[in-house]
Amino acid sequence: MGYDWDFAVVLRDFDLLLLGLLNTLKVTGLALLFGVPLGLVLALCRLYGNALIRWPVGLVIEFLRTTPPIAQLFWFFFALPILAGVEINPFEAAVLTFSLQSSAFFAEVFRGGIQSIERGQWEAAKAIGMTRNRALRRVILPQAVKRMIPAFLERAIELMKTTTLVGTISYADLLFRANQIAQSTYRALEVFTIAAAIYFVVIFACSLGVRLLETRMARSGESTAR
Amino acid sequence: MTEMLRLEGLVKRFDDLEVLKGIDLTVQKGETIVLLGASGSGKSTLLRCVNFMEVPSGGRVHLMGEPVGRDGRGAAISYSERDLVPIRARVGMVFQHFNLFPHMTVLQNVMEGPRTVLGLPRSECEARARKYLDKVGLGWKADAWPSHLSGGQQQRVAIARALAMEPEIMLFDEATSALDPELVGEVLDTIKELADEGMTLLIVTHELGFAYTVADRVLFLSAGRILEEGRPEEVLLAPREEQTQSFLRGHGRFRLPETPAQEQA
Ligand SMILES: Nc1ncnc2c1ncn2[C@@H]1O[C@H](COP(=O)(O)OP(=O)(O)OP(=O)(O)O)[C@@H](O)[C@H]1O
Ligand SMILES: [Mg+2]
Repeated sequence: MGYDWDFAVVLRDFDLLLLGLLNTLKVTGLALLFGVPLGLVLALCRLYGNALIRWPVGLVIEFLRTTPPIAQLFWFFFALPILAGVEINPFEAAVLTFSLQSSAFFAEVFRGGIQSIERGQWEAAKAIGMTRNRALRRVILPQAVKRMIPAFLERAIELMKTTTLVGTISYADLLFRANQIAQSTYRALEVFTIAAAIYFVVIFACSLGVRLLETRMARSGESTAR
Repeated sequence: MTEMLRLEGLVKRFDDLEVLKGIDLTVQKGETIVLLGASGSGKSTLLRCVNFMEVPSGGRVHLMGEPVGRDGRGAAISYSERDLVPIRARVGMVFQHFNLFPHMTVLQNVMEGPRTVLGLPRSECEARARKYLDKVGLGWKADAWPSHLSGGQQQRVAIARALAMEPEIMLFDEATSALDPELVGEVLDTIKELADEGMTLLIVTHELGFAYTVADRVLFLSAGRILEEGRPEEVLLAPREEQTQSFLRGHGRFRLPETPAQEQA
């Protein structure tokens, strides 16, 4: 095996990779920030809206879930500005796309979580005089969210990996930077190894954090299983 | 005597299935009513119509002399969720499966209604919650999580949770059916205590011995109608109706307390 590894060349541009990582985190973070609450709203519309709301919302969710993310990204970057007559930069297109896209997935996570709560919890809440909204806020959602944590984490990891598509509209995320460095140094193997390692470290650290949170919550009280 | 509850020709249909076929019942303040009947006879549905977990299809429910619902066009009565929510807060209900909120401590469970539904100040809610937890003998478990309690304790917390709303009537739907036999007694004792203190109770139970000691009146429900009703010694020991008799025979494993009347039974 004659390959002569040389990380030194690549590490000279490490700060570029970190800048890329920052952009990756920015897009992922904002997509979560917008996508999670929007997902909750979509889930509630789909669960409790009247037919006029439920049906279109269901269609939008399914559409976002079943079309390729890259097609959505291109659509928001190239088609939307023409249709709406607004300028939109790669960063905005990326945040918009991934917020909407992840909201569809989070909507399904929320829906599953809410539906997994036993009917008896609704009944008990109703029986002490709670309205449906109050029962949702005080009784159903707190339990549902706890059950949804693993699924949330899964979606968030998926999201971060999918944001690598932003390179195709020239947004300088981690992978985009890695590609640039690879082309200038001819050290693709090293660069992509390092890029992969960074993704691994970040995602693994987040997973650990979430697991820790989960066990802490479990220990601070009841088990969610009953 | 004060009339707490009056049902007039109460009918409940689920699609084509008529579950309650015209129930007439008046309950006075402090009375304890026990509902008996075979599975599917409509006992739970009847209770659920009293606190409007289910909306009646026909007839009228009067709470403390006040008819519930608005007169609509013709004979129809319209019920709006807005009107029903406060009614539910006035009628306490205890379920077979406790349904405590697992993400709240025992104290929080009991405080929740007074706090968020009645909007009382936190300190008052806590005092109230502790008072009713003490009443069911679980003041010492205030900071425990529901999942760490026995079934009987969980059910007593559920009773305290309902009591903390200071309801006018309490409904018990087979409150001991999900419990291990050795835990049934503590819950029945708690209910008995409420009855003795003059709370108005509507109880569905299969514990005939308990029914006998606690009830002022026993109703036997069959296919959505009150087939037989009377004092416990009448209905339980000398039932007139063939159906009531065979129902009681089917519950032979429940021993009635020793009474002179038992010889005839
Ligand atoms: N939400 C509902 N939708 C349709 N049918 C229902 C509903 N709730 C109850 N029923 C039907 O109404 C009938 C009476 O049910 P109910 O639960 O009141 O009986 P019950 O006397 O409490 O029986 P059990 O002793 O088994 O609890 C049953 O045939 C039941 O299937
Ligand atoms: Mg029942």
